[in-house]
Amino acid sequence: MFRKRKRKSTGVGDRMKNSTGKAQNTPITIEVLRERVDNMEDAEIIEHQTHNNSTIIMVYIRTLIDIARLNESVIQPLRSCRNKNLSECISASKITEILMVEEAEKQLMRGAILIFDTDENQCCSVNLKDSLGRGIETSETETILYGAKDSFTENLEQNITLIRRRLPITALKTEKFTVGSLTETNVVIMYIEGLTNPKFITIAREKIQNINYDQILDSSQLAAFMEDHKHSVFPQFQQTDRPDVCVYSLGVGKLTILVDNTPFALNAPINFFHLFQSPEDYINRWIVASFLRIIRYISFTLSLLMIPLYVALTTHHYQMIPLQILFVLVETRSQLPLSPFWESLIMLVTLEVIKEASLRMPTKSGQTLGVIGGIVVGQAAVEAGFASQILIVLVGISAIASFLVPNYLMSKANTLIQFIILILASFLGVIGIFMGIILLTVHLNALTSLKQPYFAPVAPFYGKDWLDLFIRGPLHWMKTRSESLHPLQKWRYSRRR
Amino acid sequence: MKYKHSKILFVIFVNLIVISGCSPIVENNQIEDIAPVTFWSIQKGEDENFRMSTLIPPLVKEKKRLLTVQVDLLKEGMQGFNLKYYRELKVGQLRMLLISEEIAKEGISPLIDTILTDPDITKRLYLAIVKGDFDEYINSQLVMQEDLDYYLYQMFKHYDTQGKLTVINLHQFMRTLHSPAHSPVVPVFEASNENFQYQGTGIFKNDKLIETTNNMEEQIYQLIDNDHFLKYFPIPDLSFVLGHVKSNVQLNMDKAYSELNLNVQLNGRLDEIAREHKLLTREELSRFESEIELYLEEQTTKFLKKLQENKVDPLQLRKYTLRPFSKPLNEKEWSNRWERMEVKVDYDVKIQPLTDIKN
Repeated sequence: MFRKRKRKSTGVGDRMKNSTGKAQNTPITIEVLRERVDNMEDAEIIEHQTHNNSTIIMVYIRTLIDIARLNESVIQPLRSCRNKNLSECISASKITEILMVEEAEKQLMRGAILIFDTDENQCCSVNLKDSLGRGIETSETETILYGAKDSFTENLEQNITLIRRRLPITALKTEKFTVGSLTETNVVIMYIEGLTNPKFITIAREKIQNINYDQILDSSQLAAFMEDHKHSVFPQFQQTDRPDVCVYSLGVGKLTILVDNTPFALNAPINFFHLFQSPEDYINRWIVASFLRIIRYISFTLSLLMIPLYVALTTHHYQMIPLQILFVLVETRSQLPLSPFWESLIMLVTLEVIKEASLRMPTKSGQTLGVIGGIVVGQAAVEAGFASQILIVLVGISAIASFLVPNYLMSKANTLIQFIILILASFLGVIGIFMGIILLTVHLNALTSLKQPYFAPVAPFYGKDWLDLFIRGPLHWMKTRSESLHPLQKWRYSRRR
Repeated sequence: MKYKHSKILFVIFVNLIVISGCSPIVENNQIEDIAPVTFWSIQKGEDENFRMSTLIPPLVKEKKRLLTVQVDLLKEGMQGFNLKYYRELKVGQLRMLLISEEIAKEGISPLIDTILTDPDITKRLYLAIVKGDFDEYINSQLVMQEDLDYYLYQMFKHYDTQGKLTVINLHQFMRTLHSPAHSPVVPVFEASNENFQYQGTGIFKNDKLIETTNNMEEQIYQLIDNDHFLKYFPIPDLSFVLGHVKSNVQLNMDKAYSELNLNVQLNGRLDEIAREHKLLTREELSRFESEIELYLEEQTTKFLKKLQENKVDPLQLRKYTLRPFSKPLNEKEWSNRWERMEVKVDYDVKIQPLTDIKN
């Protein structure tokens, strides 16, 4: 009765295709092309007489091409050229002959110029794409003290270059796809042939090919379509704008997906523990790196459980609070109108509002907002009798601890889980917290990333991978690649020692 | 399939709640609504009943006062406290139980059993026997020291880890009480108008206090059984003080359980000495060491004799009768043998002198 019907039309792009008859292959003529670029102010059609008295018509989109290069490479050579063959007159590295109007349209929209020779009834395209974009800058989302500073930009080609420079091997393969019926976004899968498990590549390929959506503007949107578990709060793809992270991921047997017009690449398959790893882990000395990694796990636990534990103890288990702290707590809490749960909830929501607002503000205003939010609101909340001083301290520690997780998406997930555990703690106390932890563990065990278990190498257990899990073992001990990623080449050394 | 999963999850959730003991009648434990008390003092009442006291409130800023009720049963006292105070008194943070000497001499089992069966009360509750009127002491000190209850608890906690005084909690007391032929010990304090002073170790026979160690006995007990360490060991009879005394005790019992050899090796430094002693040469020092050994042997023998006469065994000597593949002595058998056992004490004192000495 409620059976889903397969939609015939998949989106605006398809409807447009039908209305303009784009789906059929039409031989190219200048009339058809004029019709296609009708009502486009930036589309220019210029007629030009050559020395041989033949008429050449140039069609291009002004906003997409490099005008200087147009003059240099096409107009100037055509003026002085006496050769009959058009392609020999133009000084461009690649000239493509165009036969169909659909192909012409595609080239035109990608920054090419179409040149019609009316006498010969020939059409060719010359790529004069304007390389508009920013330069390579330092990563702002994953800052590190030591190590490479460059980060990806919105330019896909440039991003591939950044990876290729670090991995100058022919085994590094790239596969290009186009997704989004409107945006026609270029997506590139990168992997090392003979190292990355082909199963991952097949799954990723299938998932990208199955995307049926009009706009793919960012890699996170692509990830949303590719994820195995779409309703989970945990990211199943590692998003990064650092080429060194991508190169490391490729080197251990993962694949990297680059999306045009976004500086964030996707690495997969990942597990829960990858989200706690920072590129600096592999730069620092192993003992320091291990210590920092352990601190990160502790911070994650603290940020998750500290406030719920406060609520559980002050609501249900006063017996567990150390005596001296209990006296202070009773003292401060006796003057507050709100119960520990509501007090914590209000402070956490306020903190989230401040965090979100300071992110959206310009940098300098954001700093001011942080100070106002952190100090003024916190202090005022205590003085006005909304929150206890101990809670403010705990909220502060919890907020700082949540920033230690290198992955931003993970720290957001962390906040949501904290709220759920907080509710459980207020109803069931410590038992509620443990129920929350059990549910969280069950959920993490159920997740997969590119069909690979998300909680590996803990469950399923891969003993050797523990050397780079909670600690970052010495590099000379990590002789094999991660078993949980099932790489085709197990050994990291070219010669076995 | 989806419904089946939902059902399974629902059953798990309900079971978790039921198994964890969560009941629909929620006991309010919000800390702002309750008054957790830290000690109970139980003294003899006017008639056959008890006089229970506790200090309220737990708030630091509020003026504290001593709440006292006359009751026949402990839990009745708890109810009585609640009727007298606007916050509900909770015993989840009860850390000390101070029992008067009179009650201790009559037996404390009924009191201990009541406390032991209360799931809210911790087994780490410190026990102490108080000579004199504790209420009077608290009332006199409240003006000067508002957080007196907390400081008392800190004292117990400190000596629990540091040694030097006998500190016992409910769990340890019950363990020794129910071990065959093993006498429990509890610290004894004396409360007067302005002082709350440690007196010694109270030795129990079953659940009744029968003896309290005097100063010398207490120090010997600390050295040979409790912590094997004393920071200061003053011996007024010989006019000197040993410092940082560590003891190494070896106990041997013959196969017939008729003789007990107690060898104690004492290492310490001479902290203070009266003017009359001259310890300038090695010979003088060794003579002095022999004098101490003799004195301590005499005192220890006296202490052990006293224990034998009272038929108590706070030193847990019965455990030296346990042999593999043989039946342990029962309480009565051990008691008879212990009473008649010959005790030989041997001290080996090694003293680090105050200054350099001549050879």
